[in-house]
Amino acid sequence: MTTTAPETTMTDAAPGAAEASAARTPDAPVARRARRSPVDTGLTVWSVLVFLFLFAPIIVILVYSFNNGRLLIAWNEFGFEPYRALWEKPAVRDAVAVSLRTGAIAAVLATLLGTLAGIALARKPGKWALWFIGLLLLVSVTPEIVDAVALLPWLVFLGQDAGLSIFNDGTVRLVVGHSLFSTAVVTYIVRARLVGLDAQLEEASADLYARPFTTFRRVTLPLAMPAVLAGLLLSFTLSLDNTVVAAFVQVSGSTPWPVYVLSALRGGLRPEIAAVSTVMLLLTLAALALVAVVLKRAGDSATQIARTMSGG
Amino acid sequence: MRSLRLPGFALAIPAWAWLVTFFVVPVGAVLYFSFGYKPGIFGTHATDVLSFDRYAEALSPTFFEVFMNTLWVGIAGTLLCLAIGLPVAYWMAVKAPANRRGLLIALVMVPYWTNFLVRTIGWQIILAPEGWMSQLLQTVGITDGPLEILYTRAAVLIGVVYNYLPLMILPLFVAFDRVGPALREASKDLGANRVGTFLRVTFPLARPGIIVGLLLVYIPLMGDYITATVLGGAQGNMVGQLVASQFQAAQNWALGSAMAVLLILVIMVSAAAIGLLLWLVSLPFRARNRVVLEASA
Repeated sequence: MTTTAPETTMTDAAPGAAEASAARTPDAPVARRARRSPVDTGLTVWSVLVFLFLFAPIIVILVYSFNNGRLLIAWNEFGFEPYRALWEKPAVRDAVAVSLRTGAIAAVLATLLGTLAGIALARKPGKWALWFIGLLLLVSVTPEIVDAVALLPWLVFLGQDAGLSIFNDGTVRLVVGHSLFSTAVVTYIVRARLVGLDAQLEEASADLYARPFTTFRRVTLPLAMPAVLAGLLLSFTLSLDNTVVAAFVQVSGSTPWPVYVLSALRGGLRPEIAAVSTVMLLLTLAALALVAVVLKRAGDSATQIARTMSGG
Repeated sequence: MRSLRLPGFALAIPAWAWLVTFFVVPVGAVLYFSFGYKPGIFGTHATDVLSFDRYAEALSPTFFEVFMNTLWVGIAGTLLCLAIGLPVAYWMAVKAPANRRGLLIALVMVPYWTNFLVRTIGWQIILAPEGWMSQLLQTVGITDGPLEILYTRAAVLIGVVYNYLPLMILPLFVAFDRVGPALREASKDLGANRVGTFLRVTFPLARPGIIVGLLLVYIPLMGDYITATVLGGAQGNMVGQLVASQFQAAQNWALGSAMAVLLILVIMVSAAAIGLLLWLVSLPFRARNRVVLEASA
């Protein structure tokens, strides 16, 4: 495989002519423009349509966040009224605050657990690794709704029957619920990064009489750092997005933003839902842009970034 | 690290313990509840008598219909994602200018990372009978009355295809990108036309990516709860909602647990069946297409 070869972007040319263009330099845009077949045009048009499809509801939400009417769905007039809910409605403000707080705590926790597990998987593989990866796979494929209905009775049992009152706390419950899938994702990302790097540096460090902990802190951890940061930010956005598990385990008084929206769904959506969602989207995009920058700095290609961001 | 006397998996112990405590144990409890029953109106579950009765109940005609509906949406949605996503992924990896690829990936990412519930609500606005799309279609004269698609199975299908499409496009893009231009050029140099090159070089090499994409879409789609809740009415019911309603409204944890276990079983068995089917279908092609990416492990 020649992934290191210079990328050529030639369109599929007719046989025979291909030899001529292949003999030339890889980037020969003049020849490329001249031979646009109907198939290529069709592919391009189709792709543009699909991208429009992908953005349709997001654009709708953006536009309707400036709807000054009473109901989200019925457009009334343009205005900034919905955005005022962010600081005028305590329920909205609190929901956003709960989301950000639990997102941050869950992200740190998942990153801590996932980083250590990822390092162990990459550097100490063995029979145990198969079992552990099996567990991670199970966590990733179990439908969220099953996690949700399973966690609720368990947390109630721990908090009330087992007397561990910490599990009656709204933030703790949300953090537990949000951290499961994120832990698996961070583990995949950190493992993938370290497997791609040779263990020689760590061996050299050990040969130079560094204690294991020193090697870990000064060699392994810095090597894994881009993956760790990416995992942290991905966990944060996953947590902001978590609706199903949160709806089940939440305690009234600490309702996160998506659950607030879900319950608003039954009583008629107001335009402020779109306004706050727009703000949250900008926040998520900022976090993801940061992930991309971190990975790019670490030398990842666009393809590798795509892989990491779709969850390993 | 060699002098460390801890076992190799020591660093994985915290994550393992966390997942066992908050995943394995509670899901195990659900499995256990599913063999129990609902005692009286106020109880949620009891397990002093164990039986398979809840499973029989979960597969009774009313609920069985929902399982079949879920399978229909799952399979149709996954195939639609493949049909829509494959040309896009191919275009992104092969036809689009290389320096725009990062941007295109980002464009696929943005919808994927927008809040799931919120983007589904976006579709509710688009498909609503009093919404702008409905009015536009009436003004243009395509439909006579208001758009009557919201709260049907068709709306759920649109919703799930939309929600899971990025999970199809990304692995397909990675797969097509991995094939690289060199092999395609070699194929053309050896006299294959573009259809032959796609069918005998690009497509077979991208097959692992296609299988990954199918699984990445199919598995979460089958367990979907949000899309069906927002866009589906009585006709668009999915098993996820059934499980939720047994735990919430009906307070019948035993039956809800049996449904949850069945859902997982249906997902695993049908995913394996799809995998097997794809493998069987690809068998006749395998002998003729012995192109292997050597260094791609």
